Parts: sequence; C-alpha cells; structure tokens
Amino acid sequence: MKSRLPAPYGRLINRQKPIQFTFENRIIHGFSGDTIASALMADKQYLLSRSFKYHRPRGILTMAGQDANTLVQLPSSPNVLADKQAIEDGMQVTGQNYTGSLIRDWGALLGVFSRFLPVGFYYKAFFKPRGMWEKWAPLIRKKAGLGVIDQSLKPAYHDKQYKFFDVAVIGGGPAGMQAALSAAVGATEVLLVDENPYLGGALNYSRFDSDGLYASGLLQQLLNDIAANPNITVMTDAVCNGWFADNWLPIVKGNRLFKVRVAHTILCTGALEQPALFHNNDLPGVMMSSAAQRLLHLYGVKPGSKAVILTGNNEGYGTALDLQDAGVTIQAIIDLRKNPDYDDIAITAVKKGMRIETGQAVYAAQHQGSMRITSVEVRKLISQGICSDHGEIIACDLLCMSVGYTPAYQLACQAGAQLSYDDASAMFTITNCPDKLHLAGSVNSLWALKDVLSEATNVAHQVTNELGTTDLVLESPIRSSIPSPNHPWPIFAHPEGKEFVDFDEDLTIADIINATGDGYEHIQLVKRYSTCGMGPSQGRHSALAAARIVAAATNRTVADTGVTTARPPFSAEQLGQSAGRSFYPARRSNIHYRHLEAGAQMLQAGAWYRPAFYANKNLSTQDCINHEVANVRSNVGLVDVSTLGGLELRGPDAGEFLNRFYTFGFIKQPVGKARYALLTNEAGVVIDDGVACRFNKNHFYVTATTGGADSVYQSMLKWNAQWQLDVDIANVTSAYCGVNIAGPNARKVLEKVCFDIDLSAQAFPYMGVRCGLVATIPARLLRVGFVGELGYEIHVPQQYGEALWDAILDAGEEYSLKPFGIEAQRILRLEKGHIIVGQDTDAMSNPNEVQMSWAVSRQKPFFIGSRTISELEKQPVSRTLVGFQIDDKSAPIPQESHLVLSENQMVGRVTSCCYSPTLEEVIGLAYVPPEIASEGDSIIIKSTNGVLVAATVTKVPFYDPDAKRQEL
Amino acid sequence: MTKQETNIIAPTLATRRSPLYRRHLQYQAHFKQVGDNIVVDSYPNEGAINDEIEIAKSMGLCDLSTLDRTGFKGVGTPQWLASQSFKVPVLANTAEEQSSQSLLIKLSAQEILVLSDLLFLSEDVKRLYQKAVENHQSYDQQIYNLPRNDSHCWLAVTGINATELFSKLCAVDLRSHKFVQGAVAQTSLAKTNAIIIRHDLNKTPCFYILSDISGAEFLWDCLLDAMSEFHGAPVGLSALQTLASNQ
Amino acid sequence: MKLLSCPLNGLRNISEFTYGGEYHPTPDHQTTSSRDWAEHVFFHDNTAGIVIEWWCHTPSSFWFLAERNTLTDEVVRTFTPDELYTKSIIQHETKPETTP
Repeated sequence: MKSRLPAPYGRLINRQKPIQFTFENRIIHGFSGDTIASALMADKQYLLSRSFKYHRPRGILTMAGQDANTLVQLPSSPNVLADKQAIEDGMQVTGQNYTGSLIRDWGALLGVFSRFLPVGFYYKAFFKPRGMWEKWAPLIRKKAGLGVIDQSLKPAYHDKQYKFFDVAVIGGGPAGMQAALSAAVGATEVLLVDENPYLGGALNYSRFDSDGLYASGLLQQLLNDIAANPNITVMTDAVCNGWFADNWLPIVKGNRLFKVRVAHTILCTGALEQPALFHNNDLPGVMMSSAAQRLLHLYGVKPGSKAVILTGNNEGYGTALDLQDAGVTIQAIIDLRKNPDYDDIAITAVKKGMRIETGQAVYAAQHQGSMRITSVEVRKLISQGICSDHGEIIACDLLCMSVGYTPAYQLACQAGAQLSYDDASAMFTITNCPDKLHLAGSVNSLWALKDVLSEATNVAHQVTNELGTTDLVLESPIRSSIPSPNHPWPIFAHPEGKEFVDFDEDLTIADIINATGDGYEHIQLVKRYSTCGMGPSQGRHSALAAARIVAAATNRTVADTGVTTARPPFSAEQLGQSAGRSFYPARRSNIHYRHLEAGAQMLQAGAWYRPAFYANKNLSTQDCINHEVANVRSNVGLVDVSTLGGLELRGPDAGEFLNRFYTFGFIKQPVGKARYALLTNEAGVVIDDGVACRFNKNHFYVTATTGGADSVYQSMLKWNAQWQLDVDIANVTSAYCGVNIAGPNARKVLEKVCFDIDLSAQAFPYMGVRCGLVATIPARLLRVGFVGELGYEIHVPQQYGEALWDAILDAGEEYSLKPFGIEAQRILRLEKGHIIVGQDTDAMSNPNEVQMSWAVSRQKPFFIGSRTISELEKQPVSRTLVGFQIDDKSAPIPQESHLVLSENQMVGRVTSCCYSPTLEEVIGLAYVPPEIASEGDSIIIKSTNGVLVAATVTKVPFYDPDAKRQEL
Repeated sequence: MTKQETNIIAPTLATRRSPLYRRHLQYQAHFKQVGDNIVVDSYPNEGAINDEIEIAKSMGLCDLSTLDRTGFKGVGTPQWLASQSFKVPVLANTAEEQSSQSLLIKLSAQEILVLSDLLFLSEDVKRLYQKAVENHQSYDQQIYNLPRNDSHCWLAVTGINATELFSKLCAVDLRSHKFVQGAVAQTSLAKTNAIIIRHDLNKTPCFYILSDISGAEFLWDCLLDAMSEFHGAPVGLSALQTLASNQ
Repeated sequence: MKLLSCPLNGLRNISEFTYGGEYHPTPDHQTTSSRDWAEHVFFHDNTAGIVIEWWCHTPSSFWFLAERNTLTDEVVRTFTPDELYTKSIIQHETKPETTP
C-alpha cells in the first residue's frame, strides 16, 4: 500500500476505503476503485496467470481488459479479467491454468518441448488413426483448461430492457464526449456508452502536452458539460457488444442486457495499442505503454523501478516522461526510427537528457532467475525486422512497448464497413460505413487531440442536421499533418523463437509462417489452422501482426492480406445475458381451474393448457382414461373444447369466400346447418379442418384446430386481401369458451339447462346449429360428433365459461356425467376413424390419400388447392390412410411413426394406434401402399423393440360404422 | 362504498368473471359490484385506499376485464359511429375521449374499439351493442360487431414509472414524450399481442392494455414480475376512480 | 434487428412481422397449363434484385406488400394490397390488373 503514488496519481482509487482480498491464499490490500490487477501490481505480485498452451508466466499487458493475460478464477466464475474486475472485500482470487502452483507450474515444462508442438499440432498428432481424438481429448482439455465452473452455483437474475435514443455514441473518450455534447442539442436524446467505469478514455492517463497538464483540464470541462446536459444519458461499465441492422445495439451492463434502438450511431471506440514481437515479449514486466500509464494515473501504482521504452513513435517519449515524473528510472528509450520526427513532447524528453537510441530494437527480453523481466538485449536495426549480430544488455524490470495502434474497428466491420491498410503509412482506414453509422476520433485514425475534437463536433452536427434538430453549415474538420504513430514492422524474429504473435494461444512468428508453409495462405485459413485470433482477446493484439507476417511470407502487401472478420460479441458475454428473462406465453381456458380442481393432468398444446385426463388415485392412468371413454359411450361426458379455433365470417360474400377457401361447397349450405370444412393449400395438402356453421345468410362461424387457428385466420386475411370479397373475417377463438357434452344421455342433461331450443332429434338433428340460452348464458349449439355419440358443442362468451361448466356438471349429476380429457377424446375419435390433421396427415397428404374425397366439391369454379388436387387425381395413388386392427392383442402396441413393412422393406407408417376399450381391440391408422390397402389385407408393423406385429386392414369407422349413434 | 359492503362480494356471484379473479382472491382482494359487474375495489394493505392511490401514482396494475367494451369492424363502421354522434379520430391508432367519457379507439380505417369509462358515467358501450343487435345482425351493411368483452382482457398500468415497466416488456418506445395522450400501439408485449392505449387519469399517466383473454394470467404475472424492481403492485378500481375524478 | 415499416403501424422490429412469401398472382385454376400451375406452386423466382413480398404485422393481422432488394436487404417501400388488387375478384376468370 505504501508503494502507491500520491494524488493526483490514482484518480480511480479511494484511499479512504481500503479493501482486503486474497490471491492464491495470500492476503492483498487494495483500495476501492482498484481492479484485481492494479491491487496485485501495487502488492508486487507481477505473475497473474499461466498461458493456455505452454503455461508461460504472464502479467499485465494492456490494463484495459482487452487481453487474456489477466484471466483469473473467482469461486463463482472462471476467466475473469483481472484488469477489469473491481476488487471487493473478502474476494478469493486464484490463478488459472496450472498444475501444482502458479509459481511452480509443472505444465510449464511443455514450453521446453514447444518445438514438438508445432502449429496445427492437434490436427497432425491426435486425429490419426481415426477415433484417437476421443481418447486424447480429455487429457488435452484438462491441460488446456481455462478455469473451473462452479456447478453448484445458483444463477443470478439476469434481465433485458429496451432503450430508445436518437443518437448513441459508443466510447466515452475525448471524441465520444465531444460528439455527445455536440449532438445533444434541441430535443436530440443522446446515449454515451463506455466500457470503463469512467469517462474520458485516454484523457485520464495519456500525455497530450509536454508538461502533462492539458488533458486533465479538458477532461474536467467535458465532464462538467456532460453532467449539465439533460439530453445526455451516460452508461459506464457498459459494453456495446455488437451492431445489428438499423442501429440495434446490444449493450451489456451488469446483469442486464439493454437492447438499444437509435437513429444514428457514432463510433468513438478509439484504438488498441499493439505489442512488438521479440524473443520473450510475453514476460511479466513487458507491457503496452498505455498499460504503464494507466497504472500510474488511474491506480497510483508504479509499474516498475527501471524502465526501458521500446518505441516507434513519439507517444513512447510521453510515456518516458510520465514514468520519470513518477520516479521511475528511464534506462533508455529504444526508438525503432532511424531519424525520428519529434513533436514537442519528444523534444521535452530529449531535453531531459534521457538515454535515447535511435534505429535500434529490443531483440530479446531476459528473466534471470525470475518470473519477471530483468534485462533486455538491444540491437541495431539493419533492415526491416533484421537486427545486427550482437547488441547490448540493459537491465530493467519494466519494458514499455509503444509501436502503434489498430483502430477498434470491430463494431464498424460488423456493420459491413471495409477496413483497409496502407502499407506505406502503416495506417488503417475504415470506409463504407452504412448510412447512419459514423466514426470519430482515433478509430478513424485521427491522433491529434484538436483533430479528434473537431471531427467529433463535425460528425455530431452532420447527425443533428439529418435528424432535423439543427440546420448548421458544416465546416470541414481539421486534419493536422502529424507523423503516423504506427511503426510498419515491429517484428524481430529470433532463432529460439518465443516472439509471441498471439498471447492467448501461444503462437509465435514461426507458427504463422509454418501455417502458410502448410498451404494455408489465406488469412482466414491461417486463423482457423493456427487458431491465431481465436482466443479470448479475439485477435485484438494479434490480427495486425499476423497479417504482416502472412503478407511477408506470401509476398503480398498487408493491404492485400487483410484481417479476419470481426463478429459479435465484441467482448466475452456471459450466457446469462442472453438466457436472461424470457417469455413463454401460456393460454388458459376459462375452465382451467375447474380441471385442476377435478384432478386433471394438464398438457400443453402449443401455448394452450388442456386436460389430458382426470386422475383418480385408485386407478392407473390408462384405467382413468378408459373409464372416461366408457362413460361417454354408455352414459354422458363433458370435454372442454375452448382451445378450438373460432372464426366469424360475415357479409354478403361469406359463402363465396368459404367456397374458395375450403374444399367443400358452402354457397347452398342451409341456415342452421354445419358442414365439414377441409382446408388444403395450393399444393393440395391437407392443412386444417373444422366445421362451418351457418347462422344466417351472411354469417358463418367456422371452427379450426387448436394449433391451426392463428395461421388459418392469417391465411384467410391474406387470400381476401387478393380476392377483395365483401366479407369480414374475425378471429374469435379466445372470445368463446366451448364444451362438448357427448353420450347417449347428452340430450337429457342439456334439457335441464336449455329451454328455448327444441332439442328433439327431429327439430335439432345431427349437423344442426342453433342459438339459445344454456343456463341463462347466451350460447351457440352445434350438433357435431367428433367422438361419435349424440353430442352438442356449446360455445359461450369466454367470461361465462366457468359458470357454464358448473351448470352442466350440476345438471348432469343425476346421470353421473363426468368430465373427460384429451386422451379419452383421442381414443373416442380413433374408434370413429376421424383423423387429426397434423397427426394423421403430413406435409404431403392430399384429401384423396386420407380418404376425404367426399369432402372435395367438384361443382364449383375453384378452391385454393383445386388445381393441384385435380392434377394429382390423374396420377396413380402411392399411399392410402387405412384402418387396421392388431391380430394378437398381447403384442406390443405400435406407436405413432412405427414402420409398416412389406418383404422387410418399409412401405408405410402408423399415424395413430391405441387399445380401444369399447371394442377391446388394438386399432389404428396407417399409410400403406394401394396393393395392401383393401379390407382384409395383412400388414406387418415393426413395433417397440423391433417386434414384428401382424395386423389386418379394417373398415373405418371401427365403431358404429353406420353412424347411428351420433344421429340419435 | 364502505368496507362492510365490499367484503361480502365474491367474484363468483356473477356468471361473467374476470379471467384473473383467482389471482385477486390470492391477494385477498375486496370486490365491489357496479351494475352487473364485479370489480376489485382494493387489496388489503395498511393505509387502504390512500396507499393504493400512492401506488397507482407511482406504478400500479389494475384489472378492468369485467368493465364493458365493444368493437366494430367493416367499411361502414366509422361513418355509422359518426352518425351516432361519436367523434371518430381521423388517424388510425388514435384514441379519442367522447364527451360522454367513453373512449373511442380507431385501430384501422375500418376498425373501432370502444371502452367504457372507469366511473361508469357513460352508457355508450351498452347502447352501441343494442343498436348493433337491432340493426346489423343481417350483416349486409358492412358493419360487424366484435366480442371485445370476451376476446380481450383489459388491464391498466398507471403511474409515473409505467414506461420503465414497459421498457422491459415491449420494443416500442412508450416513453411519455413519445407516446402521448391518445396514442395507440398494436404491438407485442411479453411476446403476446396487445393493444396499448395512453389514456391518463388526469395527471397520472395511465396505459390501457387489451390482450388475448386466454393469456390474461400469463400477462398479469409478467407485468407483476417486471414491476417488482420498481415496487409496483396491483391496485383496485377505486384508486383509479379517485385519480380519474379528482381534477 | 431490422426495422420494417408497416403501412398501418409504422416502423417496428421485424420480429413483429410474419413473412408471407413472394407476391405472385394466382393463375386461373381452370385455364392455366399444368406446367404454369406447377411453376406457380413449387418454383420460386429467386430474383437477385427488387422483389415484392407479402408481410403481415402479426399483432394487428395487417397484410401488406414490401418491395425489397434481395441483394442489399433494403426495403424500398411498403404498401397496402389494394394498390395491386383494385377490385373484387368476383369471377374466377378475373386476374389482378397490375403485375410488377
């Protein structure tokens, strides 16, 4: 703790609030505002983790939450970024990826054998002979593991929320702050997002003038202006993880995923500092210049005591000044440039008399007897990437790399923008952003602060002009001519390798060159073969170096080589963010709770809850169902049919519409009658069925299947958008609650609660429909018979459903009326041979195949499927849906989709099958070829466990073939 | 209405019942009868009605499903309603309060929804229903009545924080300055189709929700879950009536 | 998520809509050739460029048409069906007057 620098260093930490946590069981002291990494650094813990493949010691690299070097384990979650995660009291942090201890990791011995672990090693070594990978995988996965998952963890509550703004500014550095301020005029609502817990970006830690005072003044002014502007909403600690069509932005903050819709997005995502490649460039103590500056200014931590700066630009000199101001000895500035073009800051450093070596490179880093850098070897640069034969050893415990940046192009490229690279200036440009996506600042390769601010203002004004909140004359933004901060080739191969391109995956220069040697020359193939850029940091620090190496190895320019595609998410996202609160709509009939009270087992059909059967603790499930069946056949039962679709068709053309829509004829249908309605699509396939009830000349009430109602309704509207018939179509499915009272005693029960309709068989025959009062409730009565007994469907306004149910149960008490469920209904209808569309039909079934030709009218000009059906009728039938009965009742009962065999070939399949308690036979429906579709033909069904079961094709209906009972 | 009177009213006294009445019973709601309708008067809490008014001002959820509403569709509908002295909005997806206090909502060029007022002052819905039964049952005048009482549940979300709640369930921008008095959105709310109508109770923001009646309990539960972080709660009709009548 | 402009309800997330296939006038069932009928039912033009598609705003069950560029996924405009279907098709012989 005493190692901390005094204020104003450490702008993020609160020295009044000490926090204590453990790392590898060692007690560490930090302050509120510290990240795990900054607190560990202050406590002289330089080793943070072990690398993925060779278990090399790793320490702080970016201090920006952008690299995998700092992945640590918390009890509740693995792969936590130590340079991002704030410390909390009592937090238990451990390292990852080691065998033994973090200090003595036996896995590190792998590094010794690294030349036997070449690129593509896994593919080459473990995939032959075939099947070997399965044996190797568990061992390798253990070795290459990334942390441990706590399987007993109770997931935290994750949530989602929509947000709306006119403009989103992604990135709260100087460009983003200025853009937000300039855009937040008039009524324009602006969202400013930054992934850090603070705004200001580089203004917090970087040096923008020789005495290092300008940035903090500017930052304070911008912060004040933003705080004072009610149009700006600031979200810090929030990551915009993607860009989707029409400016739809997923922003993750804490446990909530914000789905943000804006009219314009301004990307001010900045630039990511890049590493130099030299031998042992991954040692703890080797870090980005910006990482050292962040440690100093944000956390008040000295990153070392003796520093060497490796630079290819003037920024490195600023870092040197910062370090020297903080009391770090500058051993040397190693400038890759032979003749540097100094700016004021660099000149200040020169004037301070620091040792400066130009035209030289750090060729290698050493770590004598330590887990941390102890010296560097500096050599003269002869040509691109080539150093002289020997050099000088300079002692140091900190090496800062300042060799250039890549723009944080990820979101722009997700939006379809083009990233290009100019080999001469080593600069990137991003072009072809979609309309309403804009760039400002260093993501757009602007480096001078005044240029950045000017562009941000200009872009913001462009946006407000487009939004119509301003009408400003735009001036072209300033572009100062300053030298490129990007050095074109900070890459120095070493005979012993270990110049890491990709720190996540432990890939070196040779690995990338070997990948091209193995024939993978395209950058996308290099990525997949070598795994370069596939680790947690997603190529943020390796894409550029890899592109440069591949370009050189394949004699292309970097521009031609390109970089790999950036896809969402930008940063690691917890599964909980997408798995958070979701909606699964559930639909309940008005009678729902009566079913529950009667012991019903409910099942879900789509969103609807339906009673499967009513349980009785003294009976098995099957017996319960069989009793329900028997009660309907011999007495009377009541079933809730509220989930059936209900559609009102009203108007002078209602009959004409139905005539075109369904297969039957409806124009001459008498008022007070119902007719079967079979629906086919244009391909002649059966897609739904129901009954059409005509209540008056211009009014039909049509039912549809539970699952088909919504799509039938939508389809009706679409067809009438074309036909433009004078008919109104309304979906009243939910507006009606329906019950079916069925069984020989149905009339007697109904007579007790319905007085204004003559219920006699003559006055109200089968397929008749009537309106009247049932238990004083206005009702529609339909004499239809899905289950094949005397029955009435009673449809009443939804909110009366429960009262209707109660009244009928009351009236039926003396007849032992019992409710029955869907399972019993399925058996009852199968006994009657009625098909269920979707179960007994598939995506190919035409009416002819399912023996429904009788329901197809040929007397009318057309219906939706008519042409196809008439074409099909010219062709031979290839299959028919037939009824069958199992010969041996003790054989295992076939299930839906069991195969029908003929000479050991499959020729058909079962669509429905069950034990019929009424007939005491096993009956079913199956598709079979026409050769074996005649009554009395024998078929073989491959039943459960492959048992072959003999069956006989049987006349349908199985039960009451003359249909006397439903017409009682 | 005093507590003694309301306590004894059970929601099952009427044959027409809200799909949510069991939820109200779970909360031990006090019911009251207004005409043929049984509604929740209030839920038991410390300060009774005054507390509920405070909740409703901040974030409340109220079930209005037993209140009368109706709808009409067809080319002849707007003209017919105009001939019945209704003010029919010009634009679709707009609500207009009538001088009788009922609310007329134009959903499309040919579709109108009519909601009764919370104080039961207007007889418009009953009158229109009667007219439709008398005059339009032959369905030859391009005017078709819709059973809105039974096809849709009717909920109200009230209070200054209501829009925060919607932002967790609905992808349409319903913030006060964007979705103003009289605005209507036919959209998806918690993955369920819904009509959302802004109709403030004097100074208290109020949003009516009409959604498929079979999904009423699902939606009610979703709304309560999303409300919990804002300390929203169910409120009875009386609180809303007080807010609606206090000028 | 993409936005789509419904002629009735305005700009909404594409998740509020149901795709209804490409706009394609139905040939006359009785007079069209078998080949043309099969083309209509089973074959898709798969145009690279502007196509007209059916879309339905699900919450309001409102059908409309959209001109969309299949190369850029840009929706050029949306419009109500009565632009193409100007009158009631009373006889099966009658076809919509406009074809794109």
